[in-house]
Amino acid sequence: MDTKNITAAALRRMLDNKEISAKEAASEFLSEIKTKDDKILSFITVTEDEAMRNAEAAQKLIDAGEAKPLTGIPLAIKDNLCTDGIKTTCSSRMLGDFVPPYSATAVEKLIAQDYTLLGKVSMDEFAMGGSTQTSAFAKTKNPYNTECVPGGSSGGSAAAVSAGFCAAALGSDTGGSIRQPSSFCGVTGLKPTYGRVSRYGLVAFASSLDQIGPIARTAEDCGIILNAIAGVDPKDATSRDVPFTDFNEKLGKGVSGMKIAIPKEFYGDAVDEEVRTAVMNAAHEYEKMGASLVDCSISTLKYAVQAYYLISSAEAASNLSRYDGIKYGLRGEGHSFDEMIRDSRNRGFGDEVKRRILLGNYALSSGYYDAYYRKALALKQKIIEEYNAVFEQADVILTPTAPTVAYKIGAQDNDPVKMYTADICTVTVNIAGLPAINTTCGYDKNGMPIGMSIVGRRFDEATIIGTADAFERTFSPVRCTL
Amino acid sequence: MDTATLDHISELSKLNFTPDEKNVMLAQMTDIIELMDTIKEYDITYDDTKDHNEVRYDDLRKDIPAPSFPTEKLQQNTSPRDNCYVVPKMME
Repeated sequence: MDTKNITAAALRRMLDNKEISAKEAASEFLSEIKTKDDKILSFITVTEDEAMRNAEAAQKLIDAGEAKPLTGIPLAIKDNLCTDGIKTTCSSRMLGDFVPPYSATAVEKLIAQDYTLLGKVSMDEFAMGGSTQTSAFAKTKNPYNTECVPGGSSGGSAAAVSAGFCAAALGSDTGGSIRQPSSFCGVTGLKPTYGRVSRYGLVAFASSLDQIGPIARTAEDCGIILNAIAGVDPKDATSRDVPFTDFNEKLGKGVSGMKIAIPKEFYGDAVDEEVRTAVMNAAHEYEKMGASLVDCSISTLKYAVQAYYLISSAEAASNLSRYDGIKYGLRGEGHSFDEMIRDSRNRGFGDEVKRRILLGNYALSSGYYDAYYRKALALKQKIIEEYNAVFEQADVILTPTAPTVAYKIGAQDNDPVKMYTADICTVTVNIAGLPAINTTCGYDKNGMPIGMSIVGRRFDEATIIGTADAFERTFSPVRCTL
Repeated sequence: MDTATLDHISELSKLNFTPDEKNVMLAQMTDIIELMDTIKEYDITYDDTKDHNEVRYDDLRKDIPAPSFPTEKLQQNTSPRDNCYVVPKMME
């Protein structure tokens, strides 16, 4: 089996046709992890025994003709999704030994399909970052060039899929954390509409923005996984009961007659020439397929990064106040209750997490609240209005996923402003709660992948999956040589 | 950002910094706040009548008592004694 190219859909057919057993499939991926992950450090925990147990159970269902779409499919899970009895670190010393007493709803839904868990993959600490270099345990490298970052925060998920260590993975996206690493690692990543997938069991970063989604090799595989994990959940009051039948219903139907919006602000000087060219070439490819391009404007983009960091950091400061070292998490030392909490937090959190907590508390503190936090909320409303206006004249929006290809490890160290402004192409989608999918649209002169994002209307994941699929059918991906 | 403000938000955040760490953090937070300050250019007011549409208040489950997690499972992440969480004695 070619683990770098096999899709979940193709593996399903192989398993059902008995061309491979679930145990053989799991073993092949585990073997790749064992022999190659020391080069990219994508996994924090490899669950070999669990994987073999899962595969054995899956095989019984396959043999009985009762397999579901993900039965026996080997997947990796981002380490901020709780897995009952399996360490969930969030890539933080604070949760270095944390073993959840329950699984996230999204994980439970995969278990209900009898998937195979290969392990937990690295990420930026508490999902704060775009490089996976803030991880306390595994600073993942890009499989296309190990001197470069894999993106983040779901860098472990994207790198593991790209390197052929799993058929697909779950990630989470608060400001681009599924799409940007997918872009950097040359794979397909889907951020569903806010509310489409339950956040229960996802370690909270910014609760109004966080969303769980798949990272895979194709849009079709993203649809298969979304079919499994989507749905309302009584344990998450922000999950929505919006009916769906099959997120892959528009596969193979093309884009003829579709209107694709091109917002000019996403194609400015902040975006590298090679990236702009590759995405516009993809836009013209869509034109050849029968779609029409529509010029449009998202004028608030200039302030989107600021609005995103103020809202997300305010929520993070609140969410992370629970880490006091008492009921779980790293326990610090001290002669008093206050000293113990401070020592726990000082030792448990890394620098980037501390910066976000400080920014959040600054924006929420007396005298600054109206100037920063409420202003950011006002911008959120304006951003939603602008997207609504674009969707009155177009079916989807096409933008670059990131201003650059994957950059060298260390290039943004100690420069948080540079790191934050690199999120310019992805954050508005989270602020507006929209679905978006990244797929590869080209490679730069050094062979590094370039990604484009297709953004859709709320709860219209089927259209963006279909649009990405139409391009993928014309595009020949160049896999990494790891 | 000045030192007093950093001290104040560090206190709110329950974080301590050594003098060297504080110098680095002060410089970085100043840069970050400078970026955030540009949001003030945009003349817009928050309309709270348009918001709070993400949470369903009309479909909350009934408050029926149900078994929770087993105590020993919840305490697997700490060093409990007699089914209690152990914290330092507070004598202030």
